[in-house]
Amino acid sequence: MSETKTGNNIGRITQVIGSTFDAEFDEDKLPEIYNAVKIDCEKGEAKIHLTGEIQQHLGGGRVRCVALGNTDGLVRGMDCVDTGAPVSVPVGEATLGRVFNLLGEPIDRLGDVKTDVRKPIHQNAPKVVDLSTNTEVFETGIKVIDLLTPFVRGGKAGLFGGAGLGKTVILQELIARIASAHGGASVFAGVGERTREGNDLWLEMKEAKIGNTGRSVIDQTTMVFGQMNEPPGARLRVALSALTMAEYFRDTMGTDVLLFIDNIFRFSQAGSEVSALLGRMPSAVGYQPTLASEMGALQERIASTNRGAITSVQAVYVPADDPTDPAPATAFAQLDAFVYLERAISEKGIYPAVDPLASSSRVLDPQYVGERHYKCARRVQQTLQKYRELQDIIAILGVDELSEEDKLTVHRARRMERFLSQPFLVAEVFTGKPGEITPLEDTIRSFEEIAEGKWDHLPEQAFMYVGSVEQAAEQAERLAAEAKKK
Amino acid sequence: MAKARALDKRRKSIKNIRKITRTMELVASAQFRRAMDRAVSANDYTQRLVRLVQDVAKTGSEISHPLLEERKDPQKGVLLVLTANRGMCGGYNSSILRMAQTRLEEMHGEYKDVLLDISGKRGIAYMKYRGADIRKSFEQFDVKPAFDEVNELAETYLSMYLAGEIDRLEVAYCKFLTLSKQRPVVETLLPLNELKAGVLGENPEAEEKETKGSVPYEFLPSPESILEEVVPNAFKAKLFKCFLDAAVSEQIARRVAMKAATENADSIISSLTTTYNRARQSQITNEIIEVISGASALQ
Repeated sequence: MSETKTGNNIGRITQVIGSTFDAEFDEDKLPEIYNAVKIDCEKGEAKIHLTGEIQQHLGGGRVRCVALGNTDGLVRGMDCVDTGAPVSVPVGEATLGRVFNLLGEPIDRLGDVKTDVRKPIHQNAPKVVDLSTNTEVFETGIKVIDLLTPFVRGGKAGLFGGAGLGKTVILQELIARIASAHGGASVFAGVGERTREGNDLWLEMKEAKIGNTGRSVIDQTTMVFGQMNEPPGARLRVALSALTMAEYFRDTMGTDVLLFIDNIFRFSQAGSEVSALLGRMPSAVGYQPTLASEMGALQERIASTNRGAITSVQAVYVPADDPTDPAPATAFAQLDAFVYLERAISEKGIYPAVDPLASSSRVLDPQYVGERHYKCARRVQQTLQKYRELQDIIAILGVDELSEEDKLTVHRARRMERFLSQPFLVAEVFTGKPGEITPLEDTIRSFEEIAEGKWDHLPEQAFMYVGSVEQAAEQAERLAAEAKKK
Repeated sequence: MAKARALDKRRKSIKNIRKITRTMELVASAQFRRAMDRAVSANDYTQRLVRLVQDVAKTGSEISHPLLEERKDPQKGVLLVLTANRGMCGGYNSSILRMAQTRLEEMHGEYKDVLLDISGKRGIAYMKYRGADIRKSFEQFDVKPAFDEVNELAETYLSMYLAGEIDRLEVAYCKFLTLSKQRPVVETLLPLNELKAGVLGENPEAEEKETKGSVPYEFLPSPESILEEVVPNAFKAKLFKCFLDAAVSEQIARRVAMKAATENADSIISSLTTTYNRARQSQITNEIIEVISGASALQ
């Protein structure tokens, strides 16, 4: 209890409801909202070390808290100590290479974190005057993203998609591509996703090297996990813990920080679980009434200031493939680049299953990406849009009913659609194809040439999983040779 | 709500398309009957003509007619392509055009000059799009090609051929074989060497049997003068037959295509209906949950 600043302000637990509990304090020593309270108790066999966060003042000295850990064994009458401050996490260079839980406790069995600097996880968003106004495109080497939904350096990008469409794969691919070429720090937040994936990622990062420096990616990365098995309170706060660490890198080290969050929907979902237990009235589709403000408070802090930038990539689960669901919809409004993964495309076997028409980016504008890139992207979208419009006619009447121009449009659209696929670095073990990093220049030129009809003669299959269009030509030859053999 | 409404809208538009395709299927069925009757009766006529030529041949006289002779060193070829005026007939037009296109390219290699005549709006549009040089185009031959009009066309070809302006006439069209079989073909009409071989009719073997038992005729004033009369007529009949075949094939193709289209529309409608119902149901469920949980939260 040495951490407590206000001395021994001890309360007693009066009620336990799932992962929330009520405690009673002296009315004149009532802990503030968002303060952390600790319960350290041994009752017979059960040992309980639990941290809670104050959410509501109920009147009469009673407070309602969200448990940030397991509430098993918690009983009424237990002592509950006010720490006098919100949950804080260690920050700074000592956190690099380490794995934490949301309370800032290392969970990688590598001993204590050697730093005295701790920061509370609740912070204000940067002031408007401090925000950076710089807009620069962030190249990823993934064709569909670079062409249609260019990311912004110091901006926020969202990967939206239903279950099993490959959000996590794209996120890990981006980590492999960006983090390994990135000089500054990276922070990864695992929010309510599979623990196994977190473990895999950690091991992978240990193996991967940054450029030719010989150092592991993990040496530049801080990971914070609050996965599926954690109670809702933990999943609700883990993103803030990671964000706090990223903010510190930004503000003190002045470097560009990468922040990866998988999956921001779980944050909203945890908020909804907690909200019901706190007795708030549910709002649209059963979500918490504070959905938008919770999301806003989190997202506004992920910002680039004049001192440093946070570039963040977030996976957003879309329940029931319905992007109008309130949780993804509120996340959507916060982002600079919006990558929407579509089931119909993944069913065609095209990965990444990015929907080229639903996805968008703030910087897909001649002002930022240049006239040529913009025109090429729009042309690709127009062609695919036209193809989509014609699809009903094709389904009913057949391709033969189309006019000659439309047939040509369909012909090219089908090639473009397939050309948007790309072999991934992280998927190499599954596909057997080495990952392709395609420079933006090659991407634009390839799509321009396809749109102009320079590659009309190649079979559709040749466009699957290649980098630049020249590789499609090579693949076409290989396919033809294989067909001949048979 | 947005999703359910969008689904419903889409379903309505597909229902409308289905109405059209279903109607076209029925119309095509009716027109196909009539067209087939005409084609079959024209077939009888052309067969009779062939027999006549064969009879002439039996008299021992050498069959020789300018329309029958293969020309040495041909310079100018004509390709007449018969397509439909309207679409909605599946692969009918495109299969003919594909064949015509390949033949056209071959002909450009064989002859110094190739003239392209096209009947049917579809073919005209296609060739124009391809940037081909069209000499003449016709749109008047539709569901029921009239003999007078075909005759007129045949006369011009005949006179051009006899005057040496053209050395060959080929027709690309869809040949009607049976109810379930039509094939796009390119046939040579001028010179009419098929007549010489006696395969102008649909079934030469059957004819042979018939002719075997027939009596030798005596031709007056002479077999040559009769040949003079018969051969141009045979050409006209043959050309007319091409048009009739094309008309039948088009109707069959349309009927088949529209039947398939109606079925496709049906399956889309049923899957959309399922999705719509599901969307509507889940929306209702959602609203009920909201109302109930709202109410219970107030308690």
